[in-house]
Amino acid sequence: MSVKNGINGWAGSIVRINLTTGTITTEDTLPKYKPYIGGMGLGYKVIWDEVPLDSDPLGPQAKAVFAVGPLTASGVPCSGRMNISCLSCWSKGNSIVDAHMGGHIAHAFKYAGFDAMILEGQSDKPVYIKIDDEKVSIEDASHVWGKGTFETNATLSKENGDTFDVASIGQAGENLVPMSTIITSFGNSGGAGIGAVLGSKKVKALVVRGTGAVKIARPMEVRLLSNYMIKDLVGGNNNHNVPTVPQSWAEYSATSKNRWQGGPGVTWDKAPNGPIDTGEQPSGVINVAAMRCNKGVFDFGAVAEKYTVKQGGCSSCPVRCYTEYELDPLADYDLPTHVSNTCIPITGQTGIYCGFAHDFVDEGDAKIVLGGAGSRAQDDYGVWCNYGNLKTDFARAYKDGILKEHMTEEEWNEVPWDLMESGDPRWAVEFYKRIASGKGAWGVIGKGSYAMYKEWGLDDASKNSAGKNYYDEVSSSNTNVTYNGYPKHHSSEECWQTGLLYNTAYNRDCMIHVITNVVRSGSPFEAVIKPVAESFFGEGCVDAPKAYTPINENKVKLAKWALNEKQWHDSATLCNWMYPMMLSTSKKRGYKGDLELDAKYMSAVVGEDYQRADIECDSERITQMLRAMTAISFKVNLGSTNLRKDHDAIPAWVFDKEPDFKAFEEGTVKMDREDWEKSLDLWYDALGWDKETGIPTRETLEKFDLGDCADKLAELGLIK
Amino acid sequence: MSDKKRFLDKDYTRRQFLKLSGKSLVGVTMSSAMLSTLGVTAAALAEDKVKVWAFPQGLLVVNPDRCVGCQRCEINCTLTNDGCCSSYISRVKVTRNLYSSRNGEGLYTENNWTYFPDTCRQCEDPACGNACPMGAIYADESGIRKVDTEKCVGCGACTAACPWHMPTVNPVTKKSSKCVMCGACVEGCPSGALSIIPWDKVSAAAQAI
Repeated sequence: MSVKNGINGWAGSIVRINLTTGTITTEDTLPKYKPYIGGMGLGYKVIWDEVPLDSDPLGPQAKAVFAVGPLTASGVPCSGRMNISCLSCWSKGNSIVDAHMGGHIAHAFKYAGFDAMILEGQSDKPVYIKIDDEKVSIEDASHVWGKGTFETNATLSKENGDTFDVASIGQAGENLVPMSTIITSFGNSGGAGIGAVLGSKKVKALVVRGTGAVKIARPMEVRLLSNYMIKDLVGGNNNHNVPTVPQSWAEYSATSKNRWQGGPGVTWDKAPNGPIDTGEQPSGVINVAAMRCNKGVFDFGAVAEKYTVKQGGCSSCPVRCYTEYELDPLADYDLPTHVSNTCIPITGQTGIYCGFAHDFVDEGDAKIVLGGAGSRAQDDYGVWCNYGNLKTDFARAYKDGILKEHMTEEEWNEVPWDLMESGDPRWAVEFYKRIASGKGAWGVIGKGSYAMYKEWGLDDASKNSAGKNYYDEVSSSNTNVTYNGYPKHHSSEECWQTGLLYNTAYNRDCMIHVITNVVRSGSPFEAVIKPVAESFFGEGCVDAPKAYTPINENKVKLAKWALNEKQWHDSATLCNWMYPMMLSTSKKRGYKGDLELDAKYMSAVVGEDYQRADIECDSERITQMLRAMTAISFKVNLGSTNLRKDHDAIPAWVFDKEPDFKAFEEGTVKMDREDWEKSLDLWYDALGWDKETGIPTRETLEKFDLGDCADKLAELGLIK
Repeated sequence: MSDKKRFLDKDYTRRQFLKLSGKSLVGVTMSSAMLSTLGVTAAALAEDKVKVWAFPQGLLVVNPDRCVGCQRCEINCTLTNDGCCSSYISRVKVTRNLYSSRNGEGLYTENNWTYFPDTCRQCEDPACGNACPMGAIYADESGIRKVDTEKCVGCGACTAACPWHMPTVNPVTKKSSKCVMCGACVEGCPSGALSIIPWDKVSAAAQAI
């Protein structure tokens, strides 16, 4: 425990568990991992040092690194995230990826006294990891192997004691289905195929109790900074800073749909003692912060109020983006009525009905009722949807007749298609059960877009009966942002070239919300968004909606900052949906946030002087590691020597959509090919990457003390 | 004379008041009509869904329906009183109710959405203090029961004796700690699940009846 060892911020210990030998050892976090912050950075350093990048992601050499950071459980708001790093078992190049998990387990883990847990080797029988403060053990999990995550989490929490939190994998992970998650709390998940990675190690779950504490250098300063943040800076989810529903104190109400949906007349109808009106939520008041978001109303409209019990979310977060529902229409189908999730895992479920969804009680409630059934089933089987691609891949293949071609007659006839065609919520259970089985054509879908397109010839229009390239097709259901197997995540459709640039950076969907938090805040563009953003990043760094301009250096500067911020968030750990605090709810601040806040928190928690530049430097170190590891993986696994061509290429639809428009005309968000090549040139320049190959130069890597990465790249002939 | 004193000095008969669960700071009970004027409904009280305790700053109201499980009450408690961030040693306790609590409530039970903070009742006849073999739990000049850490030997008798197990022995310092009514949990509660109705408002409500 940090209070025992005298370290501020970090817990101080890492536990290493070898599942092959059953050996459990601990090692110090500091000083070795301090330059990598924690979380994602720590995970990357472990993988870089210890896992050859040509390892089978599901083999005995592979490792999974669960890690939190110096700000996790420090009292800082929105610090309840845990990062899990591993090699990708599904995206092109099989390079490094992260799963990011909210809920409450990150706090429990840190309070138990650990910054990280390294899982290595493979068990030959089902086990779970038990962390009871400093006591770590490998326990038998045979009684929960084969069970869904809801039953597993309930069983293991009850068995170990009511103060233990749990995160577990479902049948998808057990069956090594790459599209798989780990699930904790209620619907909080880490994706990226971590379920299969844990399944390959026969690790069903992590069970944690932490009775310790995180030592804080200046605790009252943390409390006061937190109060300041919640009072003056925090709005709704994604830090959207103006309410949708007009409020008496508010100068503005949202100019576009945003994630501050609470307000007078917006209610939690299913509260046990009668509806709770979320009421006025003025800037400057702490005790109403959790009433602002009301994510259900954003996700489903006013019908969500009818089924809302309360709002949940992660440890330390005042915003609450996990609406907790009691969806009684599901009782008619003998399905669980308690549901909670947010964004794509709950809003995208109608996609698996291929057009057969229908309403239940009220007009327009298909999305929430089927969303509830779908998210619950998806989470129970521990299926990861790859930010929606799993559902759209299925629907596209079904509608194009591809799925039928690749199923045997027996396999096709076994499926209860009538449930799908009648819009029956039980279809979700049947669907996810089959994905989680990993068998037959369902197993091909469960491998993820990259493998599925390759196996069924969907990456080449001449190789499939539909005559389509699933990456390039201009279609509302195609959002593949590269040719690597994952979709866009707040890309050029709302963040112009800036969004597209950072969408190319990872080996999964980027999960970067830094810019969308500002541009979709609901604040007026000319009066707030543009002046605030330009005050930080210079003239022309932002474009108005559907009024894009050619690339410029400030847009690239903004993209680089957003990318490095993401690394910071997943390493600190802080929630990337909320940070950075670029905007404010306060009129007297001119709605301008505070980008120095993170450094102030670090200084108060750790007790050393941190400046924004220190954080940006450490964060960029992680960006450079990500890129170097990606280049090495692409070389050793695919023979590629050029990331610009083989990793960062953008599918045709991004440039070819909306054919009636030319890029940069008002009314379109399409991109221009020539401008994109120029954008990449500027991007590589800004990041110190070779313009031709997109690989970091030795000079760049050495600037971040990553000479060993440069040596490996040189050994492989990727740099000089 | 403070608002609190004025209110406490008023002579109300038991019959006029609805008895609330537990004993408060000075054995105060509140009428449902009076509480209704303070935004606490009679139905909620009758079903024991809202709990009310007397604090120096006013009446502490715990509304489980509004609790969103963020644990900021525990965070603010420990930052303020312990110089660290923790759940286990917090004087207000919500984490233990979040997972699969002894009452069959919490995220991993059938009653998934039922979780809320437990608070110290500041009992008039305190089981924790009565059980302490060292006499380490004393009432200060405001009637707030505190742990004298010079006397405390960390035996845990207070934890065991409290019907709600609120006092907690810090595993590092080996000293017990309990709520000192500082109000940090209430100040930092982002949903209003914990709120304090100041004594001047309580007094005004009492006058209005």
